[in-house]
Amino acid sequence: MTHATNASIEQGEPQIALGMNAEAPASTPVLEAVNVDVVYGEFYALVAANLSVAPGEWVAVTGPSGSGKSTLLQLFAAVDQPTSGSVRFQGVDLANRRHLDRYRRIEVGHVFQLHNLLPHLDAKRNIEIAMFGTHRGRQARSDHATELLSLFELTAQAGHKPPEMSGGERQRVAIARALANNPAVILADEPTGSLDPEGAAKIITVFDRLHRTEGTTIVMVTHDSEIASAADRVIQLEGGRIT
Amino acid sequence: MQENVRLPTPQIGANGKSAGLSFVGLIVHNLGTRRVRTALTALAVAIAVMAVVTLGVLTDSLKSSAAEVLSAGNADFTVAQKSVSDLLNSVVTDTQVAKIASTPGVASAVGVLVATIKLDPAHPLFLEIGITPESLSPFGVHVVAGRAYDATAPDEVMLGWQAADEFGKKVGSSIVMDGNRLRVVGIYSTGQVFADSASMMPLAILQARERKPATVTLTVVRVTKGASIEGVRRAIEQANPNLATVRSATEYGRVDRNLQFLGAAQTGARIIALVIGVIIVMNTMLLSFVERIREFGVLRAIGWSRSRLLGLVLGEAVGISFLGAGLGVGFAFVLTWGLQRFSPLRGILQAQFTAEEFWTALYAAIFIGVLAALYPSARAAMLRPGASLRRE
Repeated sequence: MTHATNASIEQGEPQIALGMNAEAPASTPVLEAVNVDVVYGEFYALVAANLSVAPGEWVAVTGPSGSGKSTLLQLFAAVDQPTSGSVRFQGVDLANRRHLDRYRRIEVGHVFQLHNLLPHLDAKRNIEIAMFGTHRGRQARSDHATELLSLFELTAQAGHKPPEMSGGERQRVAIARALANNPAVILADEPTGSLDPEGAAKIITVFDRLHRTEGTTIVMVTHDSEIASAADRVIQLEGGRIT
Repeated sequence: MQENVRLPTPQIGANGKSAGLSFVGLIVHNLGTRRVRTALTALAVAIAVMAVVTLGVLTDSLKSSAAEVLSAGNADFTVAQKSVSDLLNSVVTDTQVAKIASTPGVASAVGVLVATIKLDPAHPLFLEIGITPESLSPFGVHVVAGRAYDATAPDEVMLGWQAADEFGKKVGSSIVMDGNRLRVVGIYSTGQVFADSASMMPLAILQARERKPATVTLTVVRVTKGASIEGVRRAIEQANPNLATVRSATEYGRVDRNLQFLGAAQTGARIIALVIGVIIVMNTMLLSFVERIREFGVLRAIGWSRSRLLGLVLGEAVGISFLGAGLGVGFAFVLTWGLQRFSPLRGILQAQFTAEEFWTALYAAIFIGVLAALYPSARAAMLRPGASLRRE
């Protein structure tokens, strides 16, 4: 494992439950793309892509703009479907999974490239809405959102709406939202894209802690080679092909 | 960012609110965030609700005003000509009145002629009731001041106490009716608003003036003690096929086709108002849907189910409906109040808002809101998150 961040990491047992909901057998990849093509009109976003992510692995996906990085991540997040091939979670083809909304809500935490926070909700409520449809009641959702905000040093911004926050704060809220349901997998699309080096290092520190202490699987898209080097494995995409 | 991660004690957020966001709270929040759109959509619902409620109130008011003619007499039921366009056009001959009076079980049958005149611009349909003096008591008329008119006096009239009060007349005053100067010889009371706001005069005089000799408009019937009212009604209708008996306002349509037409027109107008309301609100909600595609895509992408998203959009529609219902009833109240003071309707329209009208408003608003939101909410629920997120 290569760690690119200089930030210090607290060792020992974590104090907040951020971990996997379900563990796949060690032999079964947690995520798999098998011969995946994604075609938009005449544009091939992904061509015969094959990728296997082991449980607890941290994979960085890099490549130039338009190389298919975000497309691959969206397939894993089940917000898009492949034109051909299959995408599997714990060995089960997502196309055959009955409750994809549950998969998106519980199994994966999606950090979007553009934050995608709802602009009319404050930071706390943006996190709370990710917990709708879970076992948590209203008060528990509120408490957990407060905990996550505190974890990301956003307590003071709890009542701020996204337009009232900096890019870095928005990104941290987006990450907090992705962690709200303790997902087994974090799918992060340019999670440090809008951050300064110090802010980026802090995000990577959190990912590193989740990865090492919670065993969380992370698939992270980035075009920053230094950030990518924090991952266990770096995948290069070019012209829709994994090189 | 905390690198030394410790579970923080749950605390009141920076926004000062400790309670979490509920689903209903999110709906209310969303409506409050888009205040102008919410207000305009609620306004569209309110206008349709106003039309529905006002039409209902007006029609019910006109029905009850018209049907009060039937309750003016102290009777068990009233007999009139069947299916006339207007009750005032009913013709019951003296022979038929006598035949009714001789029907077994009938204690009394009083024939009355009812006509309307334009008294002044404020009273375009003032009621004249022609009745013989000896029938006043069986008809339930109590002379509270002065005396009853003579059976053949052409210049004598009695005023109901409310009419006398409104016109400032008392016994001995004169009043000009249909070009004739009449002397007020008595003030009467029947306990019925409609009759107490009218005038009474000798039957023969009114028959002559209206050129309706030997006929009356309706006959009020009282049955003998212990007799079956329904049985007597059946007997009268069998013996007089062109007559119908009416016991309540709801049966009024049996003798007055105008009322049936009015009811049908009301239903048609209400349907049109609802359809227009649905189209306007659906248009607004579709615009809102297009604006919010990305938001819906985000919610789907973070794990919201189709049914939850459907519930959100429909919940917002129901919220708007409640607002629209409240506004619509308010608008209807103001509009009806204005119409009551509108010269051609003054004295005819006595609008009454009942609990039924409020329920009608609520049902109409929810019908409009939910029906208009069905298509946009279904489209929101069917959105593919990926395509929605790519939308600028």
